[in-house]
Amino acid sequence: MKHSIKLTDVVKKYKDFTLGEINLEIPCGFSTALIGSNGAGKTTLLDVMCKISEKNSGDITYFEKYKEADDDYVRNNIGYCASNNFFPAEWTSKKVADVMEIAFDNFDKKKFIKLCERMKLDTPDSKKKKKIMKLSDGNKMRLYLAAILARNTKFLILDEPASALDPLMRDMLCDMFREYLTEDEERSVLFSTHNIADMEFATDYAVFMANGKVIEKGFVEELKEKYIMVHGSAELIANISDKLVSYTSNKTMFEGIALAENKSQLEKYDIAIEVPTLQQLSVGILRKAEKDNEVK
Amino acid sequence: MKIYKNSNEPIYKQISAQLREKILIGELKEGECLPSIRGLAQDLKISVITTMKAYDELAAEGLVNAVAGKGYYVNAQNSEMLKEQHLRQLENALMIAIDSARIAGIDKNEVINILSALWTVE
Repeated sequence: MKHSIKLTDVVKKYKDFTLGEINLEIPCGFSTALIGSNGAGKTTLLDVMCKISEKNSGDITYFEKYKEADDDYVRNNIGYCASNNFFPAEWTSKKVADVMEIAFDNFDKKKFIKLCERMKLDTPDSKKKKKIMKLSDGNKMRLYLAAILARNTKFLILDEPASALDPLMRDMLCDMFREYLTEDEERSVLFSTHNIADMEFATDYAVFMANGKVIEKGFVEELKEKYIMVHGSAELIANISDKLVSYTSNKTMFEGIALAENKSQLEKYDIAIEVPTLQQLSVGILRKAEKDNEVK
Repeated sequence: MKIYKNSNEPIYKQISAQLREKILIGELKEGECLPSIRGLAQDLKISVITTMKAYDELAAEGLVNAVAGKGYYVNAQNSEMLKEQHLRQLENALMIAIDSARIAGIDKNEVINILSALWTVE
């Protein structure tokens, strides 16, 4: 399958944290969610992809042939957005539009104005324009998104785009991802999140990270067939815990995830078995990583 | 199209079932193009991969044909295959009826009687 970015044995070392080795392909034509706890290495990974920070070793390929993030084609076709302070605080939407127009060949000012209107922001033509420092975190992110989406790119890399947004705006963000992917089938979106529930219906491929490593990845529909969600009365957990990937329990009940290949064995017990939501899958997979880490 | 987003029935199954029905009853005719995968995902506010899986299922059943770079087209439905599809639906519906009968302790003869009675009413 075609990929927008491919990482081979990528490592980034800090004093107290190591990312990698990362081997990963982000499929072209889809929306990919990077899911992990705080400190799992999501931002570091995105920064290394965009060469905000340099990798120590390994190999990255962009759009199947380019090796450098600062190659002209790559730079013009990746829209990257950090989660905070992306533009200087004293800028207004007009300044953003002016600078983006100079910095990128494919920035469409008309589209930017439309996006600003759609997200209820000051446009560059508004009489009164707030400086970025006066905007709420949610409105800052809206402005960043307007600036990124107004460029005609092939690949969006967004760090926590949803976390500062209100529920309505998250819904619109999902719409915008789908529109972006519909307009051109060669496009892809990669976004990080630690709260996947709001983004479930805008996620095609999921990458799970813990402790600087990728611990699971796959197309959402395939992951939903690989794992099952199980829950039941607390007294049963002793009998079946060895068949579960991870679980949590209290005096009344337990819930967890298991591999679907164990379904027939688990069906012998009086427990509920369901298709997991992406949110439930994330909890189950990240919980296993946390437990494995404690054992170490 | 009607989709339950919080149902245990996977969304792709709901989509493929509704399109399958439209094809089998002739509402979608031979040579007609299904809505584009991305367009349908956008309209239903669901992931692209979900509609893709629904279309792949229909293609695997031979109901539609994927034309590279163009989309999915409805195949000619031969009567044999149509019958096969309906037979499968009938079996599924009967399995549900049998399950209900077993739970309620209704025996086979009684079920057949109910079926005969319903058949004549219809």
